[in-house]
Amino acid sequence: MHELLAVEGKLYPSSSKTHITYQFHIPTPLPSLQIDFQYAPKKSEDKSGSRRLIEQSIEQYVHPSMQAAYMDKWEQYMPLQNLLTISVDDPSEFRGSAHRHPEKQSYLLATSSASPGFIPGAILEGIWRITISVHCVVTPDCNYLLRVTEGEQHL
Amino acid sequence: MKWHPFELHTHTPHSDGTHTLLEMCKQAKELGLSGIALTDHNTVSGLIDSDEVTKETGVAIIPGMEWTTFYGHMLTLGAPYCEWRDLGPADIGKGIERVHQKGGIVGIAHPYSMGSPICTGCHWEYEITDWNQIDYIEVWHETMPSLRNHNAQAFRLWTDLLNQGFRIAATAGRDWHRSDNDKNLAAYTYLGIEDSEPLSALSVVDAISRGRLCISMGPLLLFKILSDQRAYGIGEVIGRTGEERKRALTINVSLQQANIPERQWIATEAHSVIIESNQGELCRGPLSGEDFQFSETIEADNLLWVRARLYGLQEGLLATLAFTNPIYLESH
Repeated sequence: MHELLAVEGKLYPSSSKTHITYQFHIPTPLPSLQIDFQYAPKKSEDKSGSRRLIEQSIEQYVHPSMQAAYMDKWEQYMPLQNLLTISVDDPSEFRGSAHRHPEKQSYLLATSSASPGFIPGAILEGIWRITISVHCVVTPDCNYLLRVTEGEQHL
Repeated sequence: MKWHPFELHTHTPHSDGTHTLLEMCKQAKELGLSGIALTDHNTVSGLIDSDEVTKETGVAIIPGMEWTTFYGHMLTLGAPYCEWRDLGPADIGKGIERVHQKGGIVGIAHPYSMGSPICTGCHWEYEITDWNQIDYIEVWHETMPSLRNHNAQAFRLWTDLLNQGFRIAATAGRDWHRSDNDKNLAAYTYLGIEDSEPLSALSVVDAISRGRLCISMGPLLLFKILSDQRAYGIGEVIGRTGEERKRALTINVSLQQANIPERQWIATEAHSVIIESNQGELCRGPLSGEDFQFSETIEADNLLWVRARLYGLQEGLLATLAFTNPIYLESH
């Protein structure tokens, strides 16, 4: 299986609300593209740190007259989780995204079909981009792995 | 004009929903919905099945997307994918322009939901410099919407904007992720569409843009204002000269029961109609007669907008059961 891109990286809470885009070249049209993505940890185990973040959120997002009632029930928002999602752009247009929670994900894009979230179409030669949208990192750090390979089968 | 019940905020496994488009539309049909808008998070790939699903279920599917960004969630209808990943918290105007240029409309989803890290980007934090760009606000979110705290704030935001003279539509959205037997009921967004028009992205976008909407837990609440021998319906604008502005207006409200068994509260339980405006409440009273009518003549100056609200018992709780979008007034 020919590897087109393999990267790993480390994120911190300050990485929240950033995008990381990897750009790579496909020299000749392919039957399909395989994308494997994973990150860890998923959930925060730090109870007191989580409580602090939840209380900050309540102060920021809940109407002042209601905050006390929400503070009493802060634990309903546990556990806090990291959320990273990926999206794909081919040389000319957007090819879909996977906005969902699992921390280990595998996708296949091909001419006549694609994994849910992605748009089927030719895997053309040219510059492709995969974007990791870092919606939220709540753990002290978070490691991700992204690997793109030439898919073996036609779907 | 025909009024079609729609569900305007839905997800499938193409983002984080668990029901397929077919499963959802089958349940939509059972709920009596004429159509749904597919608004998966950040993708439009789910639309690939829409023709087939509409053929099988008869439920119209309107293309949409929920921009699931870091600073807010924004619903789009009637536009293809438009880019959002390059926008900062002060750039939403640029993003909205992209959707409008493609013929679509935008709505703020659940503006007062909890934000990050509890629900990433769910609380609206974009800076809006021109509210005229916003086509609609999802003021009723999730099931049992009139009982939810975050919707009270959204409803107030919408009302404040109407008071400032903006003409923005209000919608309901179940944010539908799974087809289960949830006892908690969702609201319908009824859209007023001309009899001759098919249910399409074009006619749905047009109905929302023109403010022809009624949001309801079941029955269809409609009203008209009679002014100078003409009847004006929801979403319309009554233009009056300085002199005419002082003349009394007659308001006629009607209610049609939903034909869904569990949605027929009005047949048995207490209810009343409240007519409200930028001048506050104008009048209220019971619906009477077999065809549930309410009529009142009002004398009020400086009216910018008027809407009807149905208030009554819902599962034993006193709450708003339905409200219309406004009829607007302007003087020239």
